[in-house]
Amino acid sequence: MNAAAATARRPWVRILLAALAAIVLIVAPLALPAFANQTLVRIGVYAVAVLGLNIVMGYTGQVNLGQIFFVGLGAYVTAYGVNHGWNILLVFVAACAVAGVVGLLVALAAARLGGLAIAMVTIALPIVGVPLAKRLSEFTGGSQGISARFTDAPDWSGLDNDQWQFYIVLVVAAAAFLLARSLVRGKYGRAFAAVRENEAVAASMGISPYRTKVLAFTIASIFGGASGFLYLAAVQYTSPETLSFGHSISLLAAMVIGGAGSIAGSLLGGAYYVFVPQLTNAIDPNLTTVSQGALLLAVLFLLPGGLVSVPRVVRRLTRRTGAGRSTGRRSSAGPVRETSQQTAPAHRPVPDDALEGHEQTERQDGP
Amino acid sequence: MNIRKKPGGVLGIVAVTAALALSLSGCRGDSGGQGGGGSASSPGITDSAITLGITTPLSGATAGPGKCTVAGVSAYFGAANAAGGVKFGDGKTRTVNIKSYDDAYDPQKSLANFQQMVSDNVFAATAGLGTPTNRAFRDAAISQKVPQVLVMTGDPLFSDRKQSPWQLGFVPIYQNEGGAFGKLLAKSGAQHKVAILSQNDDYGKGYVAGFKEAIQGASNISVVGEQTYEATDTSVDAQLTQLASSGADVFFNAMSITPLTIAALQKAQQIGWKPSWFLPSNTSSPTAILEPGGAAAYPGIYSVSFAKAPQSPAFAKDPDVVKFLDELKKYGNYPDMPAFPHCMWSYMVGATLEKAFQNMKEPTRDSFMTALRDIKDLKAPLMLEGTSVNTTVDGQPAVSSVVVQKYNGKGYATAENFG
Amino acid sequence: MGTFIQLVVDGLATGSIYAALALAIVLVNQATGLINFAQGGMAVLSAYLAYASVQLGLPLILAIIIAIVLSFLFGALVERFLIRRFERGDPDTAVVVTIGLLTLVTGICAVLWGYNNLGFPSLFPLTSVEILGAVVSVRSLATAVTIVVIMVVLQLLFLRTKLGLALRAVADNPASAAFSGLPVGRLLMVGWGLAATLGAIAGVLVAPQLTLTPGMLDTALVYALAAVILGGLTSPIGCVVAASAIGVLENLVAVYVPLIGHDLKIAVPFALIFVILIVRPQGLFGRKVVVRV
Repeated sequence: MNAAAATARRPWVRILLAALAAIVLIVAPLALPAFANQTLVRIGVYAVAVLGLNIVMGYTGQVNLGQIFFVGLGAYVTAYGVNHGWNILLVFVAACAVAGVVGLLVALAAARLGGLAIAMVTIALPIVGVPLAKRLSEFTGGSQGISARFTDAPDWSGLDNDQWQFYIVLVVAAAAFLLARSLVRGKYGRAFAAVRENEAVAASMGISPYRTKVLAFTIASIFGGASGFLYLAAVQYTSPETLSFGHSISLLAAMVIGGAGSIAGSLLGGAYYVFVPQLTNAIDPNLTTVSQGALLLAVLFLLPGGLVSVPRVVRRLTRRTGAGRSTGRRSSAGPVRETSQQTAPAHRPVPDDALEGHEQTERQDGP
Repeated sequence: MNIRKKPGGVLGIVAVTAALALSLSGCRGDSGGQGGGGSASSPGITDSAITLGITTPLSGATAGPGKCTVAGVSAYFGAANAAGGVKFGDGKTRTVNIKSYDDAYDPQKSLANFQQMVSDNVFAATAGLGTPTNRAFRDAAISQKVPQVLVMTGDPLFSDRKQSPWQLGFVPIYQNEGGAFGKLLAKSGAQHKVAILSQNDDYGKGYVAGFKEAIQGASNISVVGEQTYEATDTSVDAQLTQLASSGADVFFNAMSITPLTIAALQKAQQIGWKPSWFLPSNTSSPTAILEPGGAAAYPGIYSVSFAKAPQSPAFAKDPDVVKFLDELKKYGNYPDMPAFPHCMWSYMVGATLEKAFQNMKEPTRDSFMTALRDIKDLKAPLMLEGTSVNTTVDGQPAVSSVVVQKYNGKGYATAENFG
Repeated sequence: MGTFIQLVVDGLATGSIYAALALAIVLVNQATGLINFAQGGMAVLSAYLAYASVQLGLPLILAIIIAIVLSFLFGALVERFLIRRFERGDPDTAVVVTIGLLTLVTGICAVLWGYNNLGFPSLFPLTSVEILGAVVSVRSLATAVTIVVIMVVLQLLFLRTKLGLALRAVADNPASAAFSGLPVGRLLMVGWGLAATLGAIAGVLVAPQLTLTPGMLDTALVYALAAVILGGLTSPIGCVVAASAIGVLENLVAVYVPLIGHDLKIAVPFALIFVILIVRPQGLFGRKVVVRV
C-alpha cells in the first residue's frame, strides 16, 4: 500500500474529495458550453443503464443481454405518462416500477435456469420487444415513435434547457449511484458475490441463489427503467430502435470497458458508450465501424480489467519497475496479494491473471 | 472474499469529472445557434461560405442508401464550388461546405449529431435518411430554430407547416406513391384481385394506406390477401406461400429490402404464382433487383419514380445523367453506379437548395426558409417528365408528383394504363 | 395441406442457413470454451474474399477454396494473437473481445467493399424441384445437404478422432491437457481455424440468397445462438436439429396462429428454448455438465 492510497483512506480526506466532486458537478453546467452539457447528460443516461447491468452481471455474474429492453420500457412509460399529463415524479416512479415488475416476472421464471438459458431469455427481451413495440401502437406510437417534451427549463430557474436537463440527470444518477454503492457494500453485495463465485457454496452458507439472482435482476431492471426515464429526458423521443438488440451488445461492451463489477466503472462505461461514436464521427464519419472496433480491442488489450483499472495498472507498473530483480518472484506471488487488496469484487480469475496466465501458457507452450 | 472499500473509486470519479470538465470546457457564450432570426446573420454562414450538416446512417444495415444521401449533395455542391460557388440572393457568392455525421440509424445518435452540428456552427441540417432519426431531433430543431429541410423520409409530419415550421420533406410521402399505382389500377376497368406484402413500419403502412385510399370505391378491385414482414427477416417465403394461395393477379409490394425483394421475385415464380407486381421506387432497380430476380417471367412489373435511373439504357446517353455520374465520382466519393435512388434524390436536394440560396435575400435562417418554401415548378436535374419540385403547398413535401412506370425488359417506360 | 408442406420445406431451407453458422459456433465452443460473437462476421469476410477472387477472374470453386484456406489462417491467427490473451481471464471480457472483433471485421468489409448489396454467384443452378407437392429450389436443397454432411463430419471428428478428443481436452481443462503432452496453443489455433473454415463454407453457401453485405449474417447469428443453446452447446447434431426446428416452427406459427403473425413469430424460438431448458437444462442433445464443488 503506497502513501497515496493510505492518505485517501482517511475519513476526512474522503469527505473532502466527495464535497469537491459535488461542487464541481453542481457548478460545471453553468460554465460549460451547451454541447458539453448535452454530452454529459447522455453519459448520465447510459451510466445508470450500465450500472444496472453491472449489478446483475458484474457483481452477481448472471449474463444479461436484455438491459436495453428495460431502458426502452422505461422510456415508453415515461412518454406515455408525460403525454397524459401525469405529475413528473409519478412518471419517474412509474417508469422504474413498471420496468421493475417486468424484470421481476422475467427473473422469477428465468432464474431457475442455468447461466446460458438466462442469457437466451434476456436476449429474447429486446428481440421480441421491437416488434411488440411496433404492434402496441396505441401506447407506443408504433414504428414512428413517440415524442414527449418535458425537460424544458422552467422560467423561474433562469437556466437553459441543457443545464436543467443536466440537473435532472445529476439528481437521478447520483441517487442511483449512491444507492448502488450502499447496496453492494452491504449484505446484499456479499450475497451477490457469493452467488457469483459458486452457487452451491452460497447455498450452503444460507444464501438462496435463486432469491439473490431474482433480486439482482429486479434491481437491474429498476435501474434500467430509471435510465429510460433519463433517456426520454435527454432525447425527448423514443421509438422501437431505442431497444434494439445491437444496443444491448453495446451496453455489455461498455460495461466491460468501463470495468465490470465496479461502481465507478459504470460511469466510465457510460462515458465510453456516448463518447466513442462522437469521437469516431470526428475522425471520419465514413469509418465509424472500423474505428469503434479497433478502439474497443485496443482498450481491452491494454486494460483487460477495464478503464477503471487504470490506477491499479499504473500502480503495478510503477511498482514493477521499482522492484527490479525481485519482479520475477513477486509477479507469481502477485495474484495472491492482489486479490486480497482487490477492492472490486474479484472477477472469476483476477484480471491481472490475463497477463500472468499468458506467461504461464507461454511456458507450457514448449516445442 | 474481499469487498473492501475502494479509495480509487472516489478518486476515479473526481478525476474523471475533472478531466471531462477540462476537456469539454470552453466559454459558455453564444456558441451555436440559439435562435436564428433577425437581421444579423445566422450561425453557419459567412460572407464567403455556408455550412450544411447531414446526419444519416453511414454504417449498419441502412448504410447503402445513407451513403447515397451524402454523395448526391456533395457531388452537386462540389461541382458548384469548383465552378466558383453559388450566387446568393444577397449578392454574395459563397462556397457550400457539407459536414456529414454517422448516426447508424439510432435516434439517440442522430440527436447527438444534431447537437454537435449546432455546436459546430452549421447553418442547416438536410438530406438525412430515416423517420426515427429525423423525428428524434425535430423538436430540438424547432425549439432552436435550425432548419431541418429536404429530409429523406416520406413521413407526412415533416411537411406539415403548422407542426413542423422549420422542416420540409423532400421525397413524396409514402401514401402518394402507393396512391399513384392504386389510381392506375382503379381506372383500368378490369376486375383485379390484389395481394399485399408490406414492411411492418411507417414506410410499409404508408404505401398500403395510400393504395387503399386510391382504390376505395373502385368496385373492380378487391384486396384478397395482406401480410407483413420485418426488415430484419431472413426470408419472406412463408408470406409468399400464403399470398399465392389467395389467387391474386396483382401483387402490391411495399418492400425496401433488396435481397428479400429478389428472393420474392424468384420464389413466387417457383411456386407457380405469376401476378403483376408493384414495387416501390427504392427497390425497383433493373440491374440490381429485377434481373437477378428473373422479372421477365411476370406479365408486368410496375413502379413509381420521379428520378431518371442511370442504370437504364434509355438514359445512358442523357446529358443530365452523364454529368451526374461524373460529378458523383469526382466530388461525391462514389465511383460505382448508384445502387440506390437516394443518390439521385440527394443530387436533386442540392439543386433545390441552390435555388433557395439564389432566392434568399438575407443571410439568415428565416430568409432561407421563406425562399425554400417558395419554389414552384423547378425541374431539377434528373427529374422525369411530368415531375417537378414544388415547395409551395402546405402538407406536401418538395416532390409530390410521381410517374407510374412499367418494366420493359431493359428499363422503365411511363405507363399510361395498366396492362 | 400443400401450404403446410411448403411452409415446412421453406422452414427447413431457412433453418439450414442458421445451422451453417451454428455449427461453427459449436466448434469454437468445443475447442476453446468461448462463444464467438464474431463467427458471423468472419464468415462474411470469407465470403467477400471469395467474391474478390471471382472478380479477379478465378472460377468459383477455386475462389471458394482460396477463401477457405485464407479463413483457416485468419482464424488461427486471431486465436493466437487476439483471443489467447483473454482465454484465461474473465469470460465476459472474452465475449466482449469477440464483439470488438465482429465490429472490426464488419468495418473492414465495409471499407473494402462498401455497404451495397453485392451479388454472389451461386454454386448451384437456380432451378427448382418438387418434393411431396412442395416446391424447393435446388440451391436450398443443396445447402441443406451440405450442412448435414458437415454436421456428420463434425460429429465424427469430436467423437471418433484423436484430434477431436484433443480439442475437447484442451477446452475442458487446458492445464491437464498440457500435462498430458498436448500442444495446447497449437490445438487452440487449429480449433479456431477449423471454425473459421466452417464459417467460410456457411458464408459462401448463403451469400447468393442473402446478397453480400457486411451485416449479412447479423440476424442469422442470433438465430444460430438460439439453435446452439437449444440443441446443446456440445452437439453438432443438436444445433442442426434445433435450427431446422426453429425455421419450421416459425413459419408454421406465423401462418396458423394469426395472433402472433409474422411480426411476432421471432418469439417462437425463444419460447421453445425456455420450455425445453426448463425440462432439460443441457439442451436437447447436450451432455449434462456436472461441476464438483
